[in-house]
Amino acid sequence: MTILDLVKTRNVLLDGGFGTELIKRGFPRGACPEAWNVERPEVIGEIHRRYFEAGSDAVSTNSFGGSRIKLASYGQDRRCYELNRAAARIAHEVRPGGRFVGGSIGPTGKFLRPQGEFTEAEFEESFAEQARGLSDGKADFLIIETQYDLREALCALRAAREATSLPVFVTMTFSRGPRGFFTVMGNSVGHCLEALGREGAVAVGANCTLDSADMAVLVKEMRATTPLPLIAQANAGKPLLSGEGEVTYSQGLEDYLRFVPRLIENGANIVGGCCGTDPEYIRRMAAIVKKGVD
Amino acid sequence: MNKEELFARIQKAIIEGRKSEAEDLAREAIKARLDLTEVIEKGYVPGIQKVGDLWEKGEYFLPELITGGECMKAAMAVLQPELDKAQIKTKSKGKVVIGTVEGDIHDIGKNLVASMLSANGFEVIDLGADVKLEKFIDKAVETQSDFICLSALLTTTMLGQKKTIELLKQKNLYGKFKVLVGGAPANQKWADEIGADGYAENAMLAVKLASRLMGA
Repeated sequence: MTILDLVKTRNVLLDGGFGTELIKRGFPRGACPEAWNVERPEVIGEIHRRYFEAGSDAVSTNSFGGSRIKLASYGQDRRCYELNRAAARIAHEVRPGGRFVGGSIGPTGKFLRPQGEFTEAEFEESFAEQARGLSDGKADFLIIETQYDLREALCALRAAREATSLPVFVTMTFSRGPRGFFTVMGNSVGHCLEALGREGAVAVGANCTLDSADMAVLVKEMRATTPLPLIAQANAGKPLLSGEGEVTYSQGLEDYLRFVPRLIENGANIVGGCCGTDPEYIRRMAAIVKKGVD
Repeated sequence: MNKEELFARIQKAIIEGRKSEAEDLAREAIKARLDLTEVIEKGYVPGIQKVGDLWEKGEYFLPELITGGECMKAAMAVLQPELDKAQIKTKSKGKVVIGTVEGDIHDIGKNLVASMLSANGFEVIDLGADVKLEKFIDKAVETQSDFICLSALLTTTMLGQKKTIELLKQKNLYGKFKVLVGGAPANQKWADEIGADGYAENAMLAVKLASRLMGA
């Protein structure tokens, strides 16, 4: 059974935040997260295991910044294939039967021309290498996430489909502005989801930026624009840092959970957390999202 | 074309993000021997301010802001040699040392703030991303800056903003520069808590904040 088969039978639960889990386990400031797929695989595997135990049907690999262009910011671009393959392998090894591994692909952090210096071909090449690594490490599907530029998301999607035979999920990140939901580049919800569907994404949706209350509103709008399975992964509000360096999120667990049923009522089929959520959030979300599942 | 018409066309070129036209109009202003300070203040600056207004209203997005900043930069590059030749000092609204703090490689937001400050008449020294905290201070001392602007996208690197202020205190330099903080996890409460002079949620508000702090 593939994850798409599962989506056809019931709502699916993804995982929550990863960076914060890494930091809890001593990940040093300023280091390259993907390097830990080789240096500290046991830590990465343990985080995935915690999410699977909490009820995640699928986890996202530690490869959000694993495109060659993003890795170049850390001088790690030559390790692109290696670090991505390792990311998928670690998750694959701890994956229980009937669960899935999503190979995470985040943005490059750079702009395409004319705002930036990169061409679409360069972006595609950078994402293709990452996708090959994730596929060879036995990811079950790819999840292109937190995309703020539709053009970049389409580069990643084309590259992923060309380089692998895996099903590809895509989430964009939208802000709520005076005229509604848009990406920072000005892409509308309808435009994004239609274009992604046309280019062959098998599930589409949104993650990050919004808390679960705003995400529920966005889900309704997204549902009206696409027949595809819909993904929603909200933040637990905004991060609040105390002077001592302790991070909390403005929404908090109970308020976050209040809107999870509404995500589903409004049409989300694939639900997970994002910044500020942890295995405890996922455990509590499982009771809502997978109600009635053994 | 009279002066007023030229100013209107300059504004329109900036608002619509047409770089070569913004440059051509600068050349036209030079040829017509206009007061270039007036050209900047009544043509270019209102243009970029309108871009900012449209962004705040949700009509414009990042690409328009970035393009607007680039048009300003291109036009200023045409005007600057003439200003230098005539020994005209354009009124700098203030000098800014800006960068993303050490351990943090995210620079999209920082670049935008730098570009908008520069487009609005501030003198900007951009140190880039992953900047050693000491370097902010050294550069600010060296250039006699008015501002130190610290960007951080991560909750972990945000502590660098606090540490920079602590370093300023250790060096008896606290209060000598106005320290502004920004980045996704930052907020006013954080700025108050660490003793920064201000926080802005976005690039346009950063320009307003810096202008206000300079008494403009």
